[in-house]
Amino acid sequence: MDFAKSDIQAMLLDSADRLLSENADVEYWRHQRGGALGFDEARWARFAELGWLALPVPEAAGGLDGSIEDIALLNIALGKALATEPYVSTVVLADHVLKQAADQLRAMELLGDIAGGTLRIALAHQENGAHPLGVEARGTVARASGDGYVLSGAKIMALDAPSAGQFIISARIEGEEGTGLFLVPADAAGLSIEPYALIDGTRAADLAFADVALPAGALLVGGNRGAAVLREAIDRASIALMAQAVGAMEAANKVCGAYVQERKQFGTAIGSFQAIQHIMADNFIAAHQARSMLYHALANADQDEATRSAALSAARLVIGEAGQVVSRNGIQVHGGYGLTDEYAIGHYFRRLMCIEKQYGDLIQHGERFGDSIFG
Amino acid sequence: MELRLDPDLETFRTQVRAFIDRVLPADMKERQRRKVANNAAVPDLLQWMRILDDHGRAVPHWPEEFGGCGWSPMQLFIFNEELYKADAPEFDWGGTHMLGPVLYTYGSDYLKDKFLPMIREGATMWAQGFSEPGSGSDLASLRTSADLVDGKYIVNGQKIWTSGAAHADWGFFLVRTDKSVKPQRGISFLIIKMDTPGITVRQIPQINGEAHLCEVFLDNVEVPADQLIGEPGMGWTYAKFLLEHERTTSSFIYWSKRELARAKDIARGETMDGRRVADDPAFRARFARAEADLLALEWSVLRVLAHEEFDAPEAAAASVLKIRGSELQQEITMLQVDAMGAKSLRFFDAAPVPPPAPTDVWPDYAPGRTTVALINRAATIYGGSKQIQKNILAKLAFGL
Ligand SMILES: Cc1cc2nc3c(=O)[nH]c(=O)nc-3n(C[C@H](O)[C@H](O)[C@H](O)COP(=O)(O)OP(=O)(O)OC[C@H]3O[C@@H](n4cnc5c(N)ncnc54)[C@H](O)[C@@H]3O)c2cc1C
Repeated sequence: MDFAKSDIQAMLLDSADRLLSENADVEYWRHQRGGALGFDEARWARFAELGWLALPVPEAAGGLDGSIEDIALLNIALGKALATEPYVSTVVLADHVLKQAADQLRAMELLGDIAGGTLRIALAHQENGAHPLGVEARGTVARASGDGYVLSGAKIMALDAPSAGQFIISARIEGEEGTGLFLVPADAAGLSIEPYALIDGTRAADLAFADVALPAGALLVGGNRGAAVLREAIDRASIALMAQAVGAMEAANKVCGAYVQERKQFGTAIGSFQAIQHIMADNFIAAHQARSMLYHALANADQDEATRSAALSAARLVIGEAGQVVSRNGIQVHGGYGLTDEYAIGHYFRRLMCIEKQYGDLIQHGERFGDSIFG
Repeated sequence: MELRLDPDLETFRTQVRAFIDRVLPADMKERQRRKVANNAAVPDLLQWMRILDDHGRAVPHWPEEFGGCGWSPMQLFIFNEELYKADAPEFDWGGTHMLGPVLYTYGSDYLKDKFLPMIREGATMWAQGFSEPGSGSDLASLRTSADLVDGKYIVNGQKIWTSGAAHADWGFFLVRTDKSVKPQRGISFLIIKMDTPGITVRQIPQINGEAHLCEVFLDNVEVPADQLIGEPGMGWTYAKFLLEHERTTSSFIYWSKRELARAKDIARGETMDGRRVADDPAFRARFARAEADLLALEWSVLRVLAHEEFDAPEAAAASVLKIRGSELQQEITMLQVDAMGAKSLRFFDAAPVPPPAPTDVWPDYAPGRTTVALINRAATIYGGSKQIQKNILAKLAFGL
């Protein structure tokens, strides 16, 4: 076991520090949130130049063949800066699905486009009333028609969908078992998209498919493997999100630590009150344990599904709760200033709340981990 | 000991319910139920005050000579509970519950005659200008000054967190009239018209998308000297009276009961693979806990209302209500949010009235829950933060 960073990782963190630290403040976040997509496309292009969009891409497709640990480290930095770019959707989630696609030639092309910054892909899987940890499609159906398929149904809360050029859609294939994963262009006829903002300034959308005609090649992963591939991809996305949470928490703790030393009441820094000191100690404990559990999830990322998902859910439990502790306490020590959009802590709070609820929330991961203990 | 409710009170409750049913306009009720914003729209709030006043019910808790109903604390409790349950707009708390009691207790006849009817009739919105950028928990250190010059106070300084100041007609302010004495002794209680020249209000964008909180800048604002309540230098005493007057209000018991009922509706409405969120064991455990805690809070409120004697100062019991009440507000609003899962993350703009039309995916309970839950982090901060309350409690109960 070695916690030291490799050369690539050190370089990655160095570049992240340089690019992100200049824009990790309230003014930048508020400006981005007010924009059309919730993030800056010019900075996305910088992500491409720095190789971040090629990180998990195989060398054959011009990528860096990075490990899940590399991805996690970069995401810690993204979380620390509250970056709203659709990195997890496109680079972590979609990449993984594409790497499992039947037509690898086409997949490599798409991966190359992602690495170059010209293509963004969002997953649209969640359906209203479906269990958030389920990977089977229920109400979305692909019907064979001629050489291709016709897709109907609806998805909700497709993260980062408004800025995506293509979607990965989970759908039941009529007459077959399982769930297939389809690639659908955002401008497909019959596809309607209702975009909206989330409380952390990122974007999502509800999608409705009214007999969307798809060519045969749109089927990336067939019904026999679709659910398993989706599970792996979502688990990797979950790890990246947990890394962002860890980064956000550690940054929030820094912000709060500085605030309680600066803020004076009763003629002295509020950090001199024991009540505040204990809150800050709790926050440190929470963030420290959170990083530990990120490592636990990473260490088990390539295990069989049962081991991997148990480790992941345990981590999501600890990290989800830690995010709440850190951000709620963080607002509390800020007093009224914590409730304004003009202080950083409220931004960390909203991001951490979003991460806690994406790809399964505290309660569902708690239940899944509980099931893994008692079988 | 008789712990059951007096049967007469059940009759009273039935009458109150029928009254509200008769006078609360259906469209107002619907707007109130479906609002995305945490705070009620000003026109509804004032209109509702006028309706209540037409029936002599706008300020039931005031002395009868000023328009009160002469009800017992239990009757007031029931009246408030039914108002909340019926989705009636809130009172303008600043006027009816904060300033009003200070005015009729300490104000001159001139001030009472001028302002009590204005508050009661729903003619004005009120802002509370106490906190300052450097003076929150340590309120006594406030610096906004009021100097008496030629029969007028000249006010200079800055207030912050002044809720609703952008829509307020009048404000009641704590100002420093004497810098030469101990901080608490130099503070006075001053009524200021919000459109007086020299006042600038800035709305503060909040984490929930609203901008109800404000900064108020006062630059050589001239205020008639007779708008100072009671004696100069007694403002701190009046402010403490104001904060302690309504000991049970800070429990938010009526509000929390209504919101827990709403949380249960959401848990019945949302499903996961065909199973209601309400049937999920982890959610059940949380609902059970919240419901039990709320019952405990309600009994604690009733004990204060009945002035039960116990071996600690009554203010200790009031601190319990504030601390547990605010924690429960937070837990209950988060239950609403958590029951919606990831759907709760969608941002709904608080401004449009009515909110977007309900759909299968986004039922009418969806917009607003997160808006309210986010700003409810403030419940453990305003009106004496949780830490300050615990400091007070430890002192009152144990002499620490
Ligand atoms: C939504 C909202 C509405 C409000 N409405 C109004 C209004 O209408 N009018 C008005 O005048 N004010 C209003 N306030 C202001 C409110 O009363 C203050 O925010 C509150 O008094 C805390 O002051 P502060 O924000 O300056 O925090 P601070 O006093 O700076 O407190 C920061 C942190 O330090 C802690 N702390 C401070 N002193 C101690 C101590 N001695 N021991 C231990 N911990 C301590 C606090 O608990 C808190 O966690 C409102 C605030 C909010 C959030």
